Formats: sequence, C-alpha cells, structure tokens
Amino acid sequence: MVVINKIHIISTLLLLFAIILNILPLPSILDSCRPPILLLFLTYCTLAYPHNINLTYAFISGLVLDILLIMPLGYNALYFTVTIYLIMMYYPQIRLQSSWNKMFSILIILIPFFLSSTLLNSILKINYSIIDVLISIVISVIIWPSLFNMLRFIRQKYTQ
Amino acid sequence: MNNNLHFRQNNFTLIKLVLFIVISVYLMYTDRQLKLGTEVRNNFSYIIQPIYTIAESPLKLYKNTSLYIDTKKNIIKENNALKKKVLVQSGVIQQIPPLKAENKRLKKLLSFSSSIDTSKILIAELIKVNLSPFSNKVIINKGDSDNLFLGQSVVDSFGVLGVISEINQNFSVVTLITDPGHAILAVNARTNKRIVLSGTGDNRKLKAKYISLNEDIIEGDILMTSGLDNIFPGGYTIGEISVIKKELNQDFLHVKVSPSSALSSNREVMLLW
Repeated sequence: MVVINKIHIISTLLLLFAIILNILPLPSILDSCRPPILLLFLTYCTLAYPHNINLTYAFISGLVLDILLIMPLGYNALYFTVTIYLIMMYYPQIRLQSSWNKMFSILIILIPFFLSSTLLNSILKINYSIIDVLISIVISVIIWPSLFNMLRFIRQKYTQ
Repeated sequence: MNNNLHFRQNNFTLIKLVLFIVISVYLMYTDRQLKLGTEVRNNFSYIIQPIYTIAESPLKLYKNTSLYIDTKKNIIKENNALKKKVLVQSGVIQQIPPLKAENKRLKKLLSFSSSIDTSKILIAELIKVNLSPFSNKVIINKGDSDNLFLGQSVVDSFGVLGVISEINQNFSVVTLITDPGHAILAVNARTNKRIVLSGTGDNRKLKAKYISLNEDIIEGDILMTSGLDNIFPGGYTIGEISVIKKELNQDFLHVKVSPSSALSSNREVMLLW
C-alpha cells in the first residue's frame, strides 16, 4: 500500500513538473513546434506503472492543461485519453523494445495526437499549420529515448 | 486467475475510454454556452496564478540577470537614444493642445457633439506563459481588484491590441483582434469610409470583409477605430492595408490588413476606460 501511494505521489509530481514545462515561455521559433511534453511524461508513467496510472490520470491532466492554456475544455483531454489507451493496450510489447524501436513506436502512438489536433483545430476553427504539428512530433520522437532514460533514473531513485 | 484479472481490467478500461471520450466531446460541444472553463479558472485562480508565476520565472530570471550583467556602455547608449526619442515626441506633443482647441472650435461651428476623451489609463504587464501557439489570446496581470470589466479595450503604444474576454482574481484573458471570432468596426482615415475587420487567426494579418469592387481604397491606407461599436474608443490606429486583390468572379475585393500593434512581442499594454 505504501509503495502504491509512493507511485501516485511521484507520478503526480512528475506530471506537475511536466505541466510547468508545457507552459514555459520559449523563443518564438520554437514556440509553434514544441513537443507535447505532458503527453510524453504521461506516456512514461503509464509504461512504468500501467496498473496505477491509467485513463483517469490522462483525462484529468488533459483537463488541467485545457484550463491553463485557455483552450476549449476537453480538447487535450480527448487525445490524451486515446493515446494512453493505446499505450495500455500495447505496453508489454513497448517495454521490451530497444530504444530505436521505442522511437518508432512513439511515432505511431503520437498519431492520435496528430489526427485529433488537426481535426479539432479545423472543427473549432483554430488557425494552425500542419508542418508545425509534424515538426513537434519529430522533435518528440528525437527526445524520447533521452527523456525515457532520465525519467527512469528519477523514478528508480525515488521509489525504491 | 491472473489471466481473468487481466481480461476484466481490459473491459473496464474500454468502458472508461468510451466514457471519457464522450465526456470530452460533450464538454467541447457545450464550451461556448456553458463556459465551464471560465468558471473553473475564476474559482481556482489562486491555484492557477502561482503556476503561471512559476512557469514565467525562468524568463524573468534571465531578463533580470541580463539587465544586471549589461554593460555600462550599452545602458548609456540606450539612455541617449531614449532621451532623443522623448525630445522628438515632446516636440510633437506641443502641437497637440492648439490642434485640440482648433478642432473643438471647428466642431462647435459644425454643431458636432464633443469628441470622446478617455479619462483613465492603466498599464498592465503581460504574463508570458506559452498558451497554445495557435491561440490568439494573451494573459495580463490585472484582475478583478483593478475594476476591469468585460469588453474593455486594450491597446499598446502602436495600436489596438484586443478586448478583455475573461476576468479572474489576479489575471485576465485578452482576446486579440486577430482572433477568428473577433470583428471590429474600423474607419479609413483617408476617406472616412467604414470597414468591418475580422481576425484570421494569424497574428500578422486581419481581413476586411464586404468591400465592393469600386470602393475607393488603396494599399497603405491607415485604418482607425471608429468608436461606433461601443467597445473601442474612436481614433486609435488598428493597422494598414497591405494587400488588395481584385478577382472578377467574386463580388467583393479581397483585402488584407496588417495590424500595427506588436501583437506577439510586447511586454506592457494599456487598459482604457
């Protein structure tokens, strides 16, 4: 029970940190193509503790991000939920992959992010450019292995 | 046994997934009417404000350090430039009172009503957090306690910026004039013709709607607020006409306007009463 509590606390802290990273101001060149950092953190937490960090976490953190970013409520929550569902389906396979393979699978897992952001942007009449979304996906694929290792290091240090 | 457990959880997850998707689609669908997001931001602004502050702090730290490290030479140079600017501008300002008096006299002769004078100006600072790159909103650090009101106009030193669309405890949200859902009634300074400008979502351009093919309009015309929409006081610069395209199979001209205010880079804005 204590271990489970510890898991929830460390994941919540990580997600809070990710939320702050997500709204951190950046130079305007990087601004439009920033990777979905909160989603990547959430992906890691789900891969690490698939039985504890589940869709509820994804939905709530999506709503929190919507509130902070002044987006229509449910915009981020929708694709967070779908992405985390995909990971919960395939986490046994993804865990065993090598880091090159992991990069490829994160590319596939980010497809709902791409689809829903383009679809919702056009429905809600938000101006966007597809190239920026694609660049943000490429950046998140590139940073994923190092992010994964870093987060694993933090988790192993503080949950043992 | 273990397998069974796994299977049960899977089913449960699927139900959860469907439930969450339905909830989020419903929330998005009703967002315009219910304004749940606004309500939540309003009630929890004491939590949200610190998060914004923390997120903004690295940038502030960087700015403060660079100010501290800045060389004396640079500062003297900047000071001189600013002094020159003040001199030029105060020279221009000297001409304003006689112009105002003359204007008043002429208006009296034509029996016009008196012109609109804004009585109070409040300077607010932008909270530089990264909203979605595609959203046309900014956050300012003045809120409920400064007697703001919804629909108050926000300008910067170059022109009109937007209107206040949401007021919370310590911060408010400004919708920029380039927001796709925003329109403003402008007047052409050269011809005094009224023009409706609406946002495109792109921070570098507005589009002018319903301008007939034979309208007197040229590139470089300056557009001002008309004061007729009861939102913006009249006489503030909005922008300059940048592109006019005539397509013969269409009923109206295709006109683009570039806003004069520094929509994406400014740090301080003014609130008008």
